[in-house]
Amino acid sequence: MFSQAAADAMRAVLDDAWYLDQPEDIATYSYDGFLPEFTPDAILVPENAEQIARIMKIANKDKINIIPRGAGTNICGSSVAREGGVIMAFHRMNKILEIDRESMCAVVQPGVVNGDLQKKVAQYDLMYPPDPASMFVSTIGGNVSLNAGGPRGVKYGVTRDYLLGLKVVLPSGEIIKTGGKTLKNVSGYDLTRLLCGSEGTLGIFTEITLRLVPLPSAKTTLQAAYGDLDDAATTVTAIMAAGMVPTTLELMDRTVLDVISDYGGAQFNSDAEALLLIEVDGDEDLVNKQGERIEALCREKGAIAVERAHTPEEADKLWQARRTAFGAVASVRPNCIVEDATVPVKKLPDIIRKVVELTRKYDLQIAVLAHAGDGNLHPLIMTDLRDQEEMGRVDQMLEELCEAAIQMGGTLSGEHGIGIAKARFMNMEFSETSLDLMRGIKRVFDPNNILNPGSFL
Amino acid sequence: MPMDLISAEFDQCIKCGLCLANCPVSHELFLEKYTPRGKIQLARAYGRGEAAITDHFRDIFSTCVLCGACSVTCPSGVDLTKVFTHMRREITEKKGISPSMKPAVESLMIHHNISREDNEERGDWREDMKDLPDHRYEKPTAKVVYFVGCVASFFPMAQTIPQNMVRILSAANVDFTILGGEEWCCGFPLMGAGAGDRMDKFVRHNVEKVRSLKAESIVFSCPSCYRMWREHYPDDIKLFHSTQFIEQLINENTLSFNELPWSVTYHDPCDLGRNGGEYDAPRKILNAIPGLELVEMENIRAKSVCCGGGGNLEMTDPALSSKLAHGKIAEIRETGAKTVVTACQQCVRTIKGRVRREKMDLEVMDISTVVARALLNV
Repeated sequence: MFSQAAADAMRAVLDDAWYLDQPEDIATYSYDGFLPEFTPDAILVPENAEQIARIMKIANKDKINIIPRGAGTNICGSSVAREGGVIMAFHRMNKILEIDRESMCAVVQPGVVNGDLQKKVAQYDLMYPPDPASMFVSTIGGNVSLNAGGPRGVKYGVTRDYLLGLKVVLPSGEIIKTGGKTLKNVSGYDLTRLLCGSEGTLGIFTEITLRLVPLPSAKTTLQAAYGDLDDAATTVTAIMAAGMVPTTLELMDRTVLDVISDYGGAQFNSDAEALLLIEVDGDEDLVNKQGERIEALCREKGAIAVERAHTPEEADKLWQARRTAFGAVASVRPNCIVEDATVPVKKLPDIIRKVVELTRKYDLQIAVLAHAGDGNLHPLIMTDLRDQEEMGRVDQMLEELCEAAIQMGGTLSGEHGIGIAKARFMNMEFSETSLDLMRGIKRVFDPNNILNPGSFL
Repeated sequence: MPMDLISAEFDQCIKCGLCLANCPVSHELFLEKYTPRGKIQLARAYGRGEAAITDHFRDIFSTCVLCGACSVTCPSGVDLTKVFTHMRREITEKKGISPSMKPAVESLMIHHNISREDNEERGDWREDMKDLPDHRYEKPTAKVVYFVGCVASFFPMAQTIPQNMVRILSAANVDFTILGGEEWCCGFPLMGAGAGDRMDKFVRHNVEKVRSLKAESIVFSCPSCYRMWREHYPDDIKLFHSTQFIEQLINENTLSFNELPWSVTYHDPCDLGRNGGEYDAPRKILNAIPGLELVEMENIRAKSVCCGGGGNLEMTDPALSSKLAHGKIAEIRETGAKTVVTACQQCVRTIKGRVRREKMDLEVMDISTVVARALLNV
C-alpha cells in the first residue's frame, strides 16, 4: 500500500529533510506512553497546514494510514501505527501565534508544549487551566486530541472547556475552520467539541484557539489525614456543598502512604487510611477565609490531623507527598500501569473499596491516587509486564473495574483516553446504536479510514 | 561490556516521556531519537539485537551532554546517564572511537592532557603571577593537594581559576601543593568518549603522586575531576570541591571578606550539583560576601540547565554545544544580573566563549575569582 511513488511524493512535499525513515527514527516513533509498540513505515514532520494538506491528498488517494503524534506521552496507545502507516509529528509547528489579552484567548500551533504556553500567558497575568501531569512535555495538539484533564479539573474543567476553535486538515486534504475567538458560539453543530478528544481519528489540527482566564493571585494549601476513607470522601462533598470549589482535591490511600514512607519520603500518621491534599485559589482574602473554613470542615468530618500552609515553602512541603507518590509507586515493581476509571463524586468511596476488593481477589499490588473532587480515580497497578500470568490477572481486574465504574454511572476513562488500551471495553459504556453513530461520523470525515485506524472504533 | 549490566535500567522505563521536559538537547533537536526516552529505547532495541551500531546510531549517543537532567526527572528511577555512558563504551568497543573524538583521545594517551600540549606546560598559568612564591606551589609534601584540572591549566580563558585558588589557599594558610607536570588528566573525557577502559594508567599515576606527597585531601576546582575521583578512584583520600573547601574555611573564620556590591546569578554546574549533590556550598559562599546580591535563575539546583559544555559535545557537535550555551545565556540574562558566577572551569569556558562571540555585556566568572576579589581585592 505504501508505494515508493507515494513515499517519494511525500518526501518531495517535505523537502527531503523532514521525511524520516532511518532505522533509528522508525524505532523511536514506534511507541508512546502505553505498552504495545508498532513499527511505522516513515515519519513526517510538516511545517504548515499547506504541506499537511498535500500529504493528506497523497495518503487519501493511496490509502496510506496517517497517525498524528504530539509528544507521545499519552498512556492509551493513541499515537502508534497499529495498522502500519506513517507517523505525523508536529515538532516544527510549535509556535504561539497570538495572545489576545482583550479577548482572553491564545492561538497556537499544535506542537506547542502545554507548559510553555502556561509560562507565556502567565506573563500577561493569564492562565491556561488544563494541567495534565505531562504538561511540561505534552503538546496542545495532543491535549486537544485526548481532551486532556489534570488536577485543576475540579474547579476549571478540562481541555474541552478551553477550546474555542480549530483549523483542521481533513483526510481529503481540505482545510476547514471551526469555532473562533468567541466564548459563545451556537452556530451549527459543534464541530470543535466533536474534534476535541477524537484521538487523531477525524482530522489534523493545525491551529488551535484557546480560552484563557485571569491568573489567580493567591492560593492556600491544606493536608488532612483520615482514619476512615468515607470521612475523606464526605469532606470532599461537604466542601463543595459549602459553596467552595478547590483547584485541587487529591486523595492518596494507605498503600500510597506506605510506599512513600518506604521510599524514604514523609512518614504519616499510622492510623491514616487516606490523605487529602486540598488547594484553593483566588484573591488573598478569599483564599485565607476559605482555608479556615476548609480546615474546620475537615475536622468536623473526622480528620485525625489537619495541616494548613501559611507560606509557599510550607505549601511546597504539603505537596511533597503527592509529588513523590507516582515515582515512589512506580519504583516498587518493574512496571506501573495508571488506570483511569471515573465515577460520580459521591461514588468515590465505593469505587476505591472495589479496587481494594479486586486487588485481593486477583492478588495484585495496587495503590490508589484520585482526583477526588471529580471522581477521577487513578489506581496505580504495580506489576511486571514480563510476567504473562500476572498480566492475565491484571487484565481481568481491569475489566471488572471498568464494569463497576460504569455500573456506578461512571466512565471507562476520565482523562487518559481510550486508544487501544480500552477499545475492547467500549461496548460496556456504549450501545451498538451509539457506536454505530460514532462509526458513521468517522466515515463522514474519513471515508477511507486512513486517520489513526485501529484506534477506539 | 555486557548489556545485561544496564538492561535493568531500560526495562524500568515506562516510556512516559517526562524526561523530555528538562533535556536541553531535546529542546533543540526535537526528534524522538535525540530525546532521553528515545535513546533509552534505542539502547533497549540494541540490547535485544534489533538495532545495529551504524554511524548514525553512534552520532545519536554522542548527541548528549550527559548532564543528568533526565535521570533526576524520571519517575521510575531509571539512571539514564548510566545507560548513555555504557552505550558510548559499547559503541567504542564495537566500532572504535568516534572520528570527532579520536584526536582528543590519542592526545590524552600521549600527553596526558586534553590540549595536545606537553604536560610540562600544565603549570604555565603561574608565569604571569607577580605574587608567585619561590616554591611555585610545588612542595615535596603537603596536607592538601590542589588538583588544577586540564581546562584551567591549558585554556587561557580559565587560567585565572588556579591563579585565584592558590591565592585563596595561601591567604588561609593552607598547607597545599599542586602536582605541576605530574598531574595527569583525571580520565573524564575518556569516559565520555566510551574509552573508560583506557583510564587505568591515569588513575594509577595520579593516585601514586598524591600518596607520595603524604596528602590527606585533594581540592578540585573542576567538578568533573571531583566526580571522577569520587566515582572511579580509591576512597582513602578526602575529596573536596573548591566550593566545599572554601565554605569550610569560611566556617572556621579563616577568611574575611571585603564588601562587594555586585548583583550576580549562579549557574549550577551539572557535575557539581546534580551529579555531585552540592548545591549549597557555592550559595553559602556568595551569601557570606557582604554587599553581594544573589539573584537566582528560573531553573536552579537539580533543574539547572547544562551550559552546553558537557558530554564532549563541543568536540562531537560544536554547533549544538553553542546553541545550548546561547540558551543558557538567555536564561542568565533574564535575571538582570550583570555577572554570572559558576564553579566549573568548563562552564566558564563554554559560557564566556559564547558571550564573547555574541559580544554581550555579561561578566562570566568562576567562584574563585569572586572570592579572591572579596578577600584580597585582586
